[in-house]
Amino acid sequence: MLGFFFKKQRQIESLIYSYLDNLRMTQTRFSEALGLCLDHNTDGTFTFLTEQTHKFESKADDIREEIITLMYGKALLPESRGDIMRLLEEVDVIPRVFERVLYMIKMQKLSIPDFIVPDIEKLVSVSLASFDLMLKQIENLLKRRQKIRALVATIDYNESECDHIQRRIITRVFDSDLDPFLKIQLKELISCIGEISDQADRVSKRINIISMKRRV
Amino acid sequence: MGALLAGIFLGWSLGANDASNVFGSAVASRMLRFWTAAVLASFFVLIGALLQGQAGIETLKDLTRLNLEQAAICSVAAALTVTMMTILALPVSTSQAVVGGILGIGLLNRQINLEGLGKVFVCWFGTPIGGLVIAVFLYKLLAGVYNGLGMNLFQSDGVLRVALILAGIYAAYALGANNVANVTAVFVGANQLTPFAALLVGGLSIALGILTYSRRVMETVGRRLVRLDPFSAFVVVLAEAITVHIYAFVGVPVSTSQAVVGAVLGVGIVKGIETVRKPTLLNILVGWFFTPFVAILIAVLLYVGIHLKYVPQ
Repeated sequence: MLGFFFKKQRQIESLIYSYLDNLRMTQTRFSEALGLCLDHNTDGTFTFLTEQTHKFESKADDIREEIITLMYGKALLPESRGDIMRLLEEVDVIPRVFERVLYMIKMQKLSIPDFIVPDIEKLVSVSLASFDLMLKQIENLLKRRQKIRALVATIDYNESECDHIQRRIITRVFDSDLDPFLKIQLKELISCIGEISDQADRVSKRINIISMKRRV
Repeated sequence: MGALLAGIFLGWSLGANDASNVFGSAVASRMLRFWTAAVLASFFVLIGALLQGQAGIETLKDLTRLNLEQAAICSVAAALTVTMMTILALPVSTSQAVVGGILGIGLLNRQINLEGLGKVFVCWFGTPIGGLVIAVFLYKLLAGVYNGLGMNLFQSDGVLRVALILAGIYAAYALGANNVANVTAVFVGANQLTPFAALLVGGLSIALGILTYSRRVMETVGRRLVRLDPFSAFVVVLAEAITVHIYAFVGVPVSTSQAVVGAVLGVGIVKGIETVRKPTLLNILVGWFFTPFVAILIAVLLYVGIHLKYVPQ
């Protein structure tokens, strides 16, 4: 009887790891696609990587659904089910942001002006570093519940840094002689990229709460 | 046989109601299927009754001398008291109702074992207090161990689930050991059953109540405990089981519900939160105070009613 409970638990655990691997694949495709875009190379490879990002984002959704179905099949304590479900919902926002950024560039045929490329590279790099740390934090929660608070502090610091970079880029865009319509488009794009570190920060704080709740 | 049916009915209702104190949290949280919980609870109630129920039977059967009719009246009075208090939505203890019924008949017989009665009263006071003290002690001790293990989310989940099931099994055993006397002790006192037969019939009737009618109570009443975090729910069930088991050794049937209330209060004290609201606590106190008196009254009225005779002028 108990073996049966733990079998489901192990299945959930393994699905969560597969979900995290899938997120890493999504992140890699996104990063490569955005790199091409910043090099003004939005040709076939960019489109291919954008479609790949979409594919992995959809797969992440499917895995999440599978985890939720399994959890409500009487596996795990209700409190743990709720915690994991809300955590995955919040994590899942990030691959959707990856997808949105790439489709925004593709559909609006956005070309990023050279004078903001270094800042955008920095924004993307810090945001993706936060995302990596967030994934590591989730693994820590699942593996050994250590160093979670330290990671919260780093992710929070990154989020503040991203906010500064974001404000700097937007200021520079609106100080420039670009077409006003392009300025609005770029502002939307930059805010969307900034959403990655904001969301990673939210998830990180939730992970900390989940971990703290398990201290009695 | 007809008289024994009253006892079996009492055991059945006891099983149907008290199973929620044993596996309520596990079933309400859908951690355990109802049937798995019901079979486990029934089995261990029976084992508890057979292995350790004797002491309670000795105490109750010696409270007063009963004949078969009086034994049946005691059981019916207890069952009616439990039903009435439940209708009035007042928390009720079957143990108090049974002792009340026995006292009612004892008053009419003018023969009560005051020493035994004193022991019972002391234990009634001791049940919620015992639950509270044990819960405080257990919480502090086990929290230290639990936090020290530094388990991850899945490990702590698995450990708590197993712990809740094991605590439930132990609580079922303690329930059987402690409460079986409520069901059939009066029939031993009336020389209608041997002690072993009383334990077997009592245990089986409680088990029958769990198997046939405890589902709704487990699923609804159990949710009260689920509102506590899983660790606290585990401490509450374990503290309740230990408290009730101690009284099984002492040989006094006590209320599992009162032990649970004490344990919930104890967890609240450790965590510095209000786990039981004041109106609920007042309700429990009212039920705790009135149950034996109502049972005494009903037993006396039943006895007098049965013996009323029409005397033609």
